[in-house]
Parts: sequence; structure tokens; C-alpha cells
Amino acid sequence: MNVLPPEIADDMRRARRLEWWTLGGMASVIAVMYFAMGSSQAMKTAFIEDLLSLVPAMTFLIAARFERRPPTREYRFGFVRVNSLAFLASAVVLTVLGSLLLFDGVSALAKGEHPTIGPIELFGQVIWLGWVMIAALAYSVIIPVVLGRLKLPIARRLRDKVLHTDADMQKADWQTGLAGIVGVLGVGLGFWWADAAAAAVISFSILHDGLRNIRIAAAELLDSVPRELDSAAMAAEASRLQQRLEAMFPGGEVRLRESGRYILANVYGVHPPEDLPTLASLMGDDPPWRLAQLSFTPPNCARSNEA
Amino acid sequence: MALFASGCDDLPRDPERTEELVRESKVIRLGWVEGAPSGSEVSMVLSRIEQATGATAERRPGDSETLLGELEDGKIDLVYGRFADDSPWAKKVHFGYPLGYRAQPPKHVETLRFAMRNGENGWIMRLERAVKQ
Repeated sequence: MNVLPPEIADDMRRARRLEWWTLGGMASVIAVMYFAMGSSQAMKTAFIEDLLSLVPAMTFLIAARFERRPPTREYRFGFVRVNSLAFLASAVVLTVLGSLLLFDGVSALAKGEHPTIGPIELFGQVIWLGWVMIAALAYSVIIPVVLGRLKLPIARRLRDKVLHTDADMQKADWQTGLAGIVGVLGVGLGFWWADAAAAAVISFSILHDGLRNIRIAAAELLDSVPRELDSAAMAAEASRLQQRLEAMFPGGEVRLRESGRYILANVYGVHPPEDLPTLASLMGDDPPWRLAQLSFTPPNCARSNEA
Repeated sequence: MALFASGCDDLPRDPERTEELVRESKVIRLGWVEGAPSGSEVSMVLSRIEQATGATAERRPGDSETLLGELEDGKIDLVYGRFADDSPWAKKVHFGYPLGYRAQPPKHVETLRFAMRNGENGWIMRLERAVKQ
């Protein structure tokens, strides 16, 4: 488990390269957004969302480095679950910031603050900063949407929750850009509340991402069954593995959990058989690397059968 | 860029219709902070605005606290005086480009300039263009 399966080594390399591109690309987006931000609440919120979008990429890169570390004397099982821990931390940050920004947006609405989007001097011309904001928002959409689309299929092949969430959030980034553009245009048309309303919409999407990520991270940390990347349902390949194991060990209870990208299977209440099946044969037509461990808990070797 | 901007000249608009009301009433209610000097630059900006809106500036002298408060409430359209960027008023009203500076002065320096009501973005653009013309 601490050695990367050769089948996914290429995809891992690709994923890491894309995440480095994400850090670079998003840094340019953040710089552009910072200069165009002005005093618009919607722009500020979109800017913070772009800043936060660096976190999953960094989480992935850090976790990908840790994952292959050999176990140490203290950490006997290695570090494949570093990503879950980092992911939980980043999800909490998303949730807290999303709530704060939602509060900011709603209180700006309640107070009736009229946002000033004034002039800016560019190339000797005095133009409305709103046009610059709209251009910046349009640019801020292109890079994440392209990167998100490139990362999504790789994340599926790697069964990588952090990468998948990152790609999914980036793919949906056009909604943020659109909300921001509508907000700025709304202010331009004389609707002062459009800016704060757009900010509230964007912060709501940050909050939504945060809560979803907490659920995904918590599922692995609490040893839930392996789940599909894009839903809370049990992964199809895990269900098939469960059925095979149940057929093979009718007297035992099959318990699957996930550690990083790997499935760990435990058969509870039976003695290990003489002729053990290979891990690859247990996976049938599914990617064999996915199953990293099969263990047995014979009768009377654990206090309780309550799962 | 310039072409693009000039093609969309009616944006931004004022949520509280400052410029429309100025045109309708033909009066610019101008708060003049006592002690702020008249000069060629102020009168040039004012005459440009008067020309563009067909209105006349009506001076109301007062101290800056009172005038800026009235500006915030929409009782007047414009205040002329010495204001610094780091003034506590900078969040409640919009301070325009400093008059008589080509570069940006330090934040703590009080410079002669106009102040406009927050959020009246069309009116703000009108004034700032007149200053930079």
C-alpha cells in the first residue's frame, strides 16, 4: 500500500503535473482578481473563493508525497490517509469562511450599503472599474474550468477523493464567475443590492462545498464503506467485492473500509482458509490494485461483533 | 478598451438617481467646506459638469462633518474640500481624484477634492472624468 501500484503511476504523475499547473494558473487568477477587486463585496467573495481553491491542490500534492512514505516505527500503517486528514481540515476552513462571507453579504444587504464601483485610469483613459471587474471574472473562470475538466477523468481512475473534489469544484467555477458578473452589471444598472446578493450566492456555494467535503472526509475517517466519488452511495466495485467475499465465506461478516484510495477488507468471525485467494482474483474485472489488504478476525478474537 | 468603454456610456447608473435629479432640477447642490480655496481647477471641473448636465452649482458653505453627513444622506450632491484617503469618512462617501496631483498623494495627506455619495456610480464617473479631462 505504501508502494504506488504501477498501473496508476502514470495517472499520478499526470495528476501532480495538473495540480502544479493549478497552483500557477490560480495564482495568476488571484493576482488579476486582487487588482480588479475594488470595494465590491461580490468581487471580494469570488477572490477569497479563488484563494481557497489553492487548498485542495496543495492538499493533493502534500498527500501524494506522504502517501508513498514507508511506515515508520510510530506509524506502522504508513501515511496513505494523510489526504483524509488534510481534506477534513480544508473542509472546515471552507465551511467557516463560507459562513463568514455569507454573513458579510447578508448584512450588507440588510444595512442597505450602496457599493461604489468607481473609475480607474487605464492607458490614460478613465473607464468604469466594473468593466475591468467583468473582464477579471471572465478570466477567473477559464483556467479553473479547463483544469477541472482535465482532472476529472484522472481523479476517477485514481479513485482520489481530494482530486475529484478539486476538479468538481473547479468545473463548477463558472457559476461563481457568472454570479459575480451579474452582480457587477446589476450595480451598473443601478441596483445597489445586486453586488451583495451575488456575494451571498457565491459564499453559499463555498459553504456548500465545505459541508460536502466534511461529509466525504468524515466518511473515510469513520471507516465507512468505500463510496462512489460523486455520491454517498457505496462504490459499485466495493459492492461486487463484498458479494464475492460473502459467497466465499458464508459464515463470516464481510467488512469493507477505505484507506486513501485503497479498499481494506476484513472477514469477521471465520478462520482464514488454507488456500487463500489472491487479492487480484477477488477484484474480478475491477482494477486489482484497489484492494490493498484482506484480513481475518477468527471467532473469539474480538470483544464484540457489533460493527 | 477605450472603444468598448465609450460604447457603454450609459453604464453605470445611479441607484438613487443623483444625476437625473440634477438634470431635472437644473441645480447641483454643492457643499463647500469653509476655508477651501477657489481655484482654476475647481471652477473648470464645475463648469464642465454644469455644461454636461445643464444645471447650475449652488454653493452651500459649512464644516466638513456636517456637509459630508448631508452628502451621505443625499441632501446634497457634491462636497468640495480637503480630505485625506485615510479619513474615517472614506468608507461612508467616495473621495474623488485629488485636484492638482498627477500621481497619487500619500494616504494621510489632506488634498483638495470632491466627495460624492457612495454608490452613485454614474455621478461619480461623471465627476471623475471631468477632473481627469
